[in-house]
Amino acid sequence: MNSRSPILQLRKLTKTFGSFTAVKEINLDITEGEFFTIVGPSGSGKTTLLRMLTGMESATSGDILLRGARINDLPANKRPTCMVFQSLALFPHRTVGQNIEFSLKIKNVAPDVRKARALQLMAQLRLPQDYYGKSVTKCSGGERQRVALARALAYDPDILFFDEPLSAIDYKLRKTLEKELKDIHRETGKTFIYITHSLEEAMVMSDRIGVMRAGQLVQVGSPQQIYSAPETKFVSEFIGDVNVMAVTAKGSSIVHAAEFGVDIASPAVPAGFTAGHLVVRPESLRFIENRSGAENCLEGRLYNEYVLGSRIQYQVRVHDHVFIVEKLRQQAFAGQRDDNVLIGWDAKDSILVTD
Amino acid sequence: MNLAKTIGPGTRHALPILLFLLVGFAAPLLAVIGFSFIPARSFSLWQSWSLGNYIEIFNSTSYLSFLWSLGLAAVTVLILAMICYPIAYGLARVFGKYATLVTLLFTIPLFVSENVRLYGWVLFFIKNGVLLGTLKAWFGIEPESWLFTNGIIVFGMVYVYLPFMLFPMTLGVSMVPDQTRDAAFDLGATRWQVFKEVELPLSMPGIMIGFLLSFVLAVGAIAEAKVLGGQQIIPISHDIEIAFTYAQNWPLGAALSVLLMLVVGTMVLLVLRRFDLDAILGRR
Amino acid sequence: MNSLAPRWRTSLIWAWTAAVVIFMYLPGLCLLLASMTSSRYFIFPITKWGFAWWEKTFASLEIHQLFQTSLLIAFCVTVIAVTIALFGALAFARYDWKGRSIYQKIVLLPIFFPQSVLGLSLLLWFNALGLTMSWQTAVFAHLVWIVPVCTLVISIQVYSFDPALEEAAFDLGATKWQVFREVTLPVLFPGIFSGALFAFLLSWGNFPLSLYTTGADTTIPEYLYAKMVAGYTPGVPVLGTVSTVGAAGLLLVGYAIIVMLRRRRAASDQSEV
Repeated sequence: MNSRSPILQLRKLTKTFGSFTAVKEINLDITEGEFFTIVGPSGSGKTTLLRMLTGMESATSGDILLRGARINDLPANKRPTCMVFQSLALFPHRTVGQNIEFSLKIKNVAPDVRKARALQLMAQLRLPQDYYGKSVTKCSGGERQRVALARALAYDPDILFFDEPLSAIDYKLRKTLEKELKDIHRETGKTFIYITHSLEEAMVMSDRIGVMRAGQLVQVGSPQQIYSAPETKFVSEFIGDVNVMAVTAKGSSIVHAAEFGVDIASPAVPAGFTAGHLVVRPESLRFIENRSGAENCLEGRLYNEYVLGSRIQYQVRVHDHVFIVEKLRQQAFAGQRDDNVLIGWDAKDSILVTD
Repeated sequence: MNLAKTIGPGTRHALPILLFLLVGFAAPLLAVIGFSFIPARSFSLWQSWSLGNYIEIFNSTSYLSFLWSLGLAAVTVLILAMICYPIAYGLARVFGKYATLVTLLFTIPLFVSENVRLYGWVLFFIKNGVLLGTLKAWFGIEPESWLFTNGIIVFGMVYVYLPFMLFPMTLGVSMVPDQTRDAAFDLGATRWQVFKEVELPLSMPGIMIGFLLSFVLAVGAIAEAKVLGGQQIIPISHDIEIAFTYAQNWPLGAALSVLLMLVVGTMVLLVLRRFDLDAILGRR
Repeated sequence: MNSLAPRWRTSLIWAWTAAVVIFMYLPGLCLLLASMTSSRYFIFPITKWGFAWWEKTFASLEIHQLFQTSLLIAFCVTVIAVTIALFGALAFARYDWKGRSIYQKIVLLPIFFPQSVLGLSLLLWFNALGLTMSWQTAVFAHLVWIVPVCTLVISIQVYSFDPALEEAAFDLGATKWQVFREVTLPVLFPGIFSGALFAFLLSWGNFPLSLYTTGADTTIPEYLYAKMVAGYTPGVPVLGTVSTVGAAGLLLVGYAIIVMLRRRRAASDQSEV
């Protein structure tokens, strides 16, 4: 699809505010044409990182290389990159057309050329042509998203940055816009760098995902890798509901869970792993009739159930530890609240992670 | 690094106004402080300094003017609070789309010199004026004019400083989220309890600023006593003016000003220090 | 909910507000009545109605001179105040910076100061500098009080300004100056406009600062005061009425413009929710 050369390279990129380190020694290569998403909880430094990449914040140390050239000291208005803001930052005193044409006007492009380009972008983003003279303040949420994107595309940037632009949009429209955005990415072939706190959103759109925590990138990989092979407890929990047990290494593929006083069959324990966590996804846990039904088994009490549309989750309490078991609706579990139940899983469905 | 980067955008934008206030506000105040220490009835700063003017103030009856000013201001503020709260409540909660218009109606008088407006009251209250003339013509009664009494001075101050109480108070009252009010009702509070436990504490910042603003302005008031009060009472500002003009005793006037500034400045700093102006003004 | 509030209380609040509004305008009405008499002294009820004093006042060269001085001062104050206050307001509400909290209090301090004392302090200060009092010193004196007010008025608009707008324009290739001209200025315009209106009207109606700092020049409020104290003629209420009605008219026109601007934006708030 695209050439595989890196368009953006970060080398030990760091930002400190006084004694607080917001972004710590980030190394990352972004490939030309890639849809890369940075995910992290609020306060993880992802916005600061993005602001450094766009030139709105200066880096404390380290390098930002665009096609090999260092751009640390290039101000935002000189960088061939552009951002779609969280608030969208549409100019309220301008029409849809004037918003889209803003960067062209700044470059002194002739009015008729500007208008042609704006109309072309509006067509591409499925905005009606008669919106050209409409005030942006009269547009709906989804339309405003498209105007913001068109305005950024009109700048013809090498890289487009997105600062959680969909966070304020209701669920249903967000799902539509996520897919639209991925289609636009495909059509334009540009490099997209997107930040969000929602891994779910990142999964839908991204070629690769980087997970940030406390100013550092803790794991980078494809959505598939992040989902099926989280390296730390943090990443595994970030994905959604997971069952996590504190464990210590006991054999080549046996760990001990002190909380339950049992040994657990696990995937191969890596060299050097002494203590960590065993992660089992809710859909990998199942209710079993007797202890031979699975490689690992715990006995607990069925506490509550939650219907999630096509799926149902069950809360099972083993001592005070809460486990979540998830089943498809068609395969609903027949147990009643406060029943004693056995839950089990196989070693291949669990993941060993460090802290 | 150029200058623009090293001092930051906030400081840079604040610089013009700060420089201006340094020359136009701080320097004159320093000049006044300087003048207050030079011998009485002299006009040059460059001579031996002393506390003579202050000693003279404490040996004279000027403190009476101070007490009058503070007392009248306190009474004014209390009356204003009672007059303004229902209106502030209305502006924040009841008037809806008419709130801007009502605000405007209260704003317009601010732009007419207070002397002129007070003179309107003179025409109203004076013998053969609008009030007494009407009473005489219609009912044949001729009560004494209320002009030149102490009560009319308070009346004039209430009139002039009403917007200064009303607007901050409105900001304060509109800081109370509807839902907290509803929640309190829902939890069984009576109307009075909601007012006392929820509305009053939450609107306190605005109310306090309204109190402060109207009190401070009323302490410095001069026109009400001169125009309506017929110089029965000499408020402190009038004392200061007399020292500067008729008495040609600038150092004494300066010393009185310094004392007034101390009273006002202390109050302003004490009250403002407690509040986050961003929350009151921006409601972000 | 609001709709559950008893109707009588809503009515009572309306009635009370209406009464206080009438109270606010009663003196203006008295001035108007007093101006419409043909006799030399004010006796109510008026027996000889007439506009003789209006004609006399408008024909007077002295009054024309007063208008010119007052207008000149108010105009200069408006231009300078808005310029300083716009930047002051950005520092007040737009930027997060270390000294901001103290800065906000410093800026507000002159508003809380008795104006007569402020006027006298400025007189002392100008005198110490060896300046002669004239309309120029009055402009300066007005500014000391009006710049903070103006800053406060513009700040309220700045608080609702999204700084991302500036960043977005900058990100789209605009220079700092283009950002200011194309985005900051037009978006803040309603606030700047109200600030200018306030500056003009407050300068126009100011008495305590003018009294000590105009020197040989005279403004309308000063003239009126002098005439009230000694030498009342029905010209006093005429001029008082003119300045009241003038202020009200200017404010209403300004208000209409702001409403128009706001209406254009009202939709934006709705669609953002």
